[in-house]
Amino acid sequence: MKYLPFVLKHLRRNWVRTGSTVVAMAVCIFLLCTLRSVLAEVDGMLAASSASRLVTRHSVSLTFNLPLAYEARIQSVPGVKRVAKTAWFGGSLPAKKEGQADGDSDSTTDWSNFFNNMAVDVETYFAMYPELVIPPDQWQSFKETRMGCVIGSKLAKKFNWKVGDKFFLESFIPPYRRRSGPFEFVVSGIYDADSAKFPGTDVSSMYFHYEYLKEGVAPRDVGVGTFMVEINDGNQAASMGKTIDALFENSSATSITETEQAFKASFIAMAGNLAFLLNGIGLAVAFTILLVTANTMSMAVRERRTEIGVLKTLGFSSAHVMGFVVGEALLLGVLGGALGVFGSQALLIGISNTPGIADILAGIGLSGLELKPDVATLGFFIAVVLGLFAGLVPALSAYRARITDILRTV
Amino acid sequence: MTTMVSVKDVTKIYKRGAEELKVLDSLSLDVPEGEFVALMGPSGSGKTTLLNLIAGIDQPTSGGVFVGGKNIAVLSEGELAKWRSHSVGFIFQFYNLIPVLSAVENVELPLLLTNLNKKERRERALTALKVVGLADRSSHYPRQLSGGQEQRVAIARAVVTDPQVLVADEPTGDLDAKSAEEILQLMETLNRDFKKTIVMVTHDPRAAERAHVQRHLEKGVLQLR
Repeated sequence: MKYLPFVLKHLRRNWVRTGSTVVAMAVCIFLLCTLRSVLAEVDGMLAASSASRLVTRHSVSLTFNLPLAYEARIQSVPGVKRVAKTAWFGGSLPAKKEGQADGDSDSTTDWSNFFNNMAVDVETYFAMYPELVIPPDQWQSFKETRMGCVIGSKLAKKFNWKVGDKFFLESFIPPYRRRSGPFEFVVSGIYDADSAKFPGTDVSSMYFHYEYLKEGVAPRDVGVGTFMVEINDGNQAASMGKTIDALFENSSATSITETEQAFKASFIAMAGNLAFLLNGIGLAVAFTILLVTANTMSMAVRERRTEIGVLKTLGFSSAHVMGFVVGEALLLGVLGGALGVFGSQALLIGISNTPGIADILAGIGLSGLELKPDVATLGFFIAVVLGLFAGLVPALSAYRARITDILRTV
Repeated sequence: MTTMVSVKDVTKIYKRGAEELKVLDSLSLDVPEGEFVALMGPSGSGKTTLLNLIAGIDQPTSGGVFVGGKNIAVLSEGELAKWRSHSVGFIFQFYNLIPVLSAVENVELPLLLTNLNKKERRERALTALKVVGLADRSSHYPRQLSGGQEQRVAIARAVVTDPQVLVADEPTGDLDAKSAEEILQLMETLNRDFKKTIVMVTHDPRAAERAHVQRHLEKGVLQLR
């Protein structure tokens, strides 16, 4: 510790260079932590899926609906426990104030408050999701109220919605828009999840009756976005999926049935190979910063050759001198790492609380975006390792430098 | 009077590729304790090489270098570093102070290798600065000092560990006449009052005159004059 002030003084020698290196390192760790946090959230979302839940969708794209008639045929497959129709509504709060919808279908959509909302077969859907917990009286009320909906506790907190509150949603998907204006909903219940038992469970969505949607857009055929299929044996998921798809093989709307986890993963993969992309960016940035920091340390050592010679003349061993250089590089790593981790934390807190961005993230299931301790630790660790590696080569050069060679060139 | 530095039959050969350059040729030299010796000679005569051997920052190709009775020619690099930290003080021509450290921090630097605590280190460093007459400049940085003052700080740094021997390589070579005179007076004081054995390399005859003994080197061999 007695050498620390000495090392710190050297870091302050060229504060512009030190500062820019620390900032470069911080940007690297900031990106790394932020990207890893997104990946961790995606992983958490996928992990919250059940192996016994399958999703049947149109084989061409999610934007194509399947016929309603498929429900009965899927239900008839041996091993299928229950089937629930779902439709991703894509509704958002109209910009006009609640209760003032006048049936004007051209009302402006308020994208800043977007959240995930789905029309589902209430009885069967919630039977498949025991992790979604609704108080019994609210559940009863929800079942009995046609325009009723249940909202996640996070959503309720965000909009300060209580049971009995009413609001309007208007879909941006043309088949789900109606001439009479936005759909009106009443909050029948607020669901929650046991985050300890079911980590990653989304509590920022809204669910309402599929029949309400169907009636609302009548006489148009609403179709089904996806069929949620619960099977008796999760180990049979692959074969069950094939059996279901075989039913519609020669129809005009062929299907793809996959596990809920695979479905979510493919949904996320629509944005490309996210994990590869994010990890690739992180790796490239980290490597660049390694070179930047190594260059900084090399310059620092090169311009201090005389001092290294003097230190050795005074009796400091080669190991001491090497330690000073490595110590400086490590300190750059520690400072940059800490700054990067705090920066990432600030950004994630910021976007999680920024109307619009937070809602869009919640809409794709990334409602719990935060810097997790293991990601922060990893980021900090990488910064320290980067610092160590960056300092290693110049430190070895300082270690090997002979006093007479250095002083002769003075 | 006991011998403080004894260089025995030392040869130093530098190798540059296939070429060998003999800088010191079977050289022997004794410096009694408390002596002030000036080494003179033309450039390339081997005086700085000899000084480096005495200071333990280089090792001979053959022969022995005894300082305080210890043959430092056989020590490993690590042992030499440890020996240098308490047995020898080095004064450079260009002072070589660390620019980011204040005068007192520069003087304190060699004491980081001792077991002294922070307060003791600071007290000793201030005492050394007092000896060289710069106690009032202890918080000044090298860029805030004149050349003569910088060299005095460098001398304080050389003596702060109370070494047996002081070696100085052209200590007045970068100074004006007045500052050079002050430095030479200081070295005389250290020799006379603090009984330091001093070996000084110089080109300057006026500086050499301040030493008790002058030795001349030519082509790696001591000349008898």
